[in-house]
Amino acid sequence: MVVNQGLSHLSDQFLIVTVALYSLAVLAFAADFAFGRRSPAPAAAEVPELVPAGVSAGAGAPGAGGSGAVAPGAVAPGSGAADGAASGVDGGAASGADGGVDRGAARGLSRGSQAGQPAGLWVRAGISVTALGLAAHIVGVIIRGFAVHRVPWGDMYEFVIAVSCVAVLFFLGLMIKYRPYYLGLFFMAPIVIIMGLAQTVIYTPAGPLVPALNSYWLAIHVTAITLASGTYVVGAVLAVVYLFAERHARRVAAGLPVRNTEVFRLLPSAARIDQFAYRTVVFAFPLWTFGIMAGAIWADQAWGRYWGWDPTETWAFITWVVYAGFLHARVTAGWRGRRAAYIQLVGFGCLLFNLLGVSIFITGLHSYAGLS
Amino acid sequence: MTETRTSPVSAPTPGDGSPGTGALSPLGITGWSRWGWRQLTSMRTALVLLFLLALGSVPGSLLPQQGIDPAAVQQYYTSHPALAPWLARLSLFNVFAAPWFAAIYLLLFVSLAGCVVPRAFRLARSARALPPPAPRNLGRLPQAARHQTALEPAAALAAATAVLRQHKFRLRTGDGWVSAEKGYRRELGNLLFHLALLALLGAVGLGGMFGYKANRLLVSGTSFANTVTALDEFHPGRLVSSADLQPFTIALNRFTASYVTSGPDRGQPSDFDAYLSYSAQPGSPVHRDDLRVNHPLNLDGVKVYLIGHGYAPVFKITDGTGKVVFNQPVPFIAVNTAGLTSEGVIKVPDARPYQLGFAGVFLPTAVDVGGTLESVFPAPIAPRVSLVSYKGNLGMDSGPPQSVYQLNTAGLTRLPVAPRPLAVGQSIKLPGGAGTLTFTGYRQWISLAITYDPGQVPALIAGLAALAGLLLSFFIRRRRMFVRAYAGPDGRTVLDVGGLARSDPAGGFEEEFAGLADALRAACAGSSTPTTTPQGERD
Repeated sequence: MVVNQGLSHLSDQFLIVTVALYSLAVLAFAADFAFGRRSPAPAAAEVPELVPAGVSAGAGAPGAGGSGAVAPGAVAPGSGAADGAASGVDGGAASGADGGVDRGAARGLSRGSQAGQPAGLWVRAGISVTALGLAAHIVGVIIRGFAVHRVPWGDMYEFVIAVSCVAVLFFLGLMIKYRPYYLGLFFMAPIVIIMGLAQTVIYTPAGPLVPALNSYWLAIHVTAITLASGTYVVGAVLAVVYLFAERHARRVAAGLPVRNTEVFRLLPSAARIDQFAYRTVVFAFPLWTFGIMAGAIWADQAWGRYWGWDPTETWAFITWVVYAGFLHARVTAGWRGRRAAYIQLVGFGCLLFNLLGVSIFITGLHSYAGLS
Repeated sequence: MTETRTSPVSAPTPGDGSPGTGALSPLGITGWSRWGWRQLTSMRTALVLLFLLALGSVPGSLLPQQGIDPAAVQQYYTSHPALAPWLARLSLFNVFAAPWFAAIYLLLFVSLAGCVVPRAFRLARSARALPPPAPRNLGRLPQAARHQTALEPAAALAAATAVLRQHKFRLRTGDGWVSAEKGYRRELGNLLFHLALLALLGAVGLGGMFGYKANRLLVSGTSFANTVTALDEFHPGRLVSSADLQPFTIALNRFTASYVTSGPDRGQPSDFDAYLSYSAQPGSPVHRDDLRVNHPLNLDGVKVYLIGHGYAPVFKITDGTGKVVFNQPVPFIAVNTAGLTSEGVIKVPDARPYQLGFAGVFLPTAVDVGGTLESVFPAPIAPRVSLVSYKGNLGMDSGPPQSVYQLNTAGLTRLPVAPRPLAVGQSIKLPGGAGTLTFTGYRQWISLAITYDPGQVPALIAGLAALAGLLLSFFIRRRRMFVRAYAGPDGRTVLDVGGLARSDPAGGFEEEFAGLADALRAACAGSSTPTTTPQGERD
């Protein structure tokens, strides 16, 4: 089947618009840090009163336990259920614009301090521009698919573009559901860099696939790997932010001098970030496992064996093992927290090496990058 | 970051019931082995082994591997003559079959089994166990809520029990309390995942024992039977004998390859079709199949794959006595993929008075590029053959077996023939009356991989089971709910609700708890509507 060059160019243009919009979003998120107006954080003491009994109020306490534990005091002590319930209703009204925000704060990443605040102008601009960029991104990916008459993640350029699309989608969902507004900058900046590199360094013109890739398993295997990789990107960003936030919290606790206090005050607590990083891996790991299995079935169809220690297979296995190590570290005493975050980043490093290093430097059966 | 420190003297104490300081000697063999077993099955050791496994796999991807690309290993020996033998001594050219690699994964799996099997027994025992009684002060639990209701304590408790039962909790009731537990399938999933990994290893081993792999090059218009002698390469499992081979025959009628003819991907293959005739066993009916990449042929559980293709120029050779001593296609092997330039050798041991040998290059689309002939397209648009001719002794009657793709020139002398590429139908007359060679045409060949792996289906089942176990263990949390109902100081019934997640690293129990607490409050309020006080309506 012949590649439709016109559509391919159209897709390229959409993706250039995407990068431009994402860059604007980065500027907006950065501007929020610099100029965003925000009301002073409510005193920690008033937070428990604003939250219905039984719903976590611990989010307001820095360094609250990983499971968002409610401090025992949060149970309205002896004041009776009527009061507790009433304060829940009143609290919803008292907290201003959005009664549902309390719940969001309790469930998610936000700190108590920002729970009652509606998103600032810059944040709203950043999220809107990101959403617009994502729309252009999705359209660009779909058009590329129509240009080449197959799923649009057959070569490395397409794969990277699709992975970043998944990451932004995941990020935007996170923003809307949990409102960790101040993570926006840390997400979108790497995405812009990744997509910029994709369009300059590893850009491949739309082309047909070699016969080995002509299989519906391409859709299954690569889609699963793409979704998992995009989610792992989000997890890796969270792990890096976590490491900084955790270091900051540790230094504060130890009474050491700290910098950028304002930035860390705005970020969700280290424990919250860590929890969400873990959730991304919990989401991505089964997908990755499934992707490897689908790849094995496909390898059996195409090459006559389901596992042959091809370099890409080997690195997918290494990545799997390291992320499995991360999951185990999370439940092993002495390995939680920073060590686990480092393991997660090592896993992500393996993923990146598999995508870039193995595709470019090592010749194997998966050498489809279109680079030579 | 807290690290427990043991005193230096009693560093390797076996935990409980350790004899105390300086008691290394009374530990004895049982003590030591118990200590060793406990170390091996600890999560920390499992973690270290996991990372060793990852680390050990790295050289397998960076260095050429014997099992994947033996030619690259040879190449490595030539370019690193000093280093290569040392790497070989460490099995680094065969990492995934190396003893040390096997040691890592076997230790890991023993560690895994040692951890998982006792847990399986514990799970089986707890299958019918009831949740523990409710603690006295539910306010101290990680999740807690307090409601008031107009219902009598007993009625409130009954309503709460109904809600928890509706949410499929396992229940235990007592005097003024009810405790409930849910999510036993989390541990089940966890065990399923780990046991499935053990099964996967077993399935891979099964394939290694009873399966086999073979290769066969098949020129268009020829056929072969699946016997050890007819196969070019045969790698049987440990328990496979030649009698176990399925007795099918395969003939290649025709092979076509299509290529992209324009654009930046010009010359890239787009389709391969090998038209086969096969019969499952001698005497059984002949079937036809279009064998393509990604569409293997399944013959009684044996799979046949199209994994390669190339050209086999046909030569007719007349020796010095005027007799036709050679007239057949000779498979040439591609040395580049862009133009499918292929190399091969022709050996004519029956030629008289001298044996003849030729080393040749086949160019499917030969174009003169700056004085040298190159192939610019993989399809046979302008096929040419260029040959170097030898006469003398091929050395085939004695010495080690030779490769059909290499010419041993030790006993041969090169003939002074002007290097002239041959088009189809052209000939070379060898000097000194040694004979004549005619390039009469070309055919295509395919290479087939034939694999039989009885471990495949078990491996797939084990993989699916592992995935199912993973999902169960990730998305189910084990949690307990406790409810106490009693008369408060103002005469209204107080309903205390407490919750505890036993395994919830991803968090999220607090939301579920909040929902359940709401449901419990609603149940107590809803059933008491007729008699509620005005205050109660605010509940």
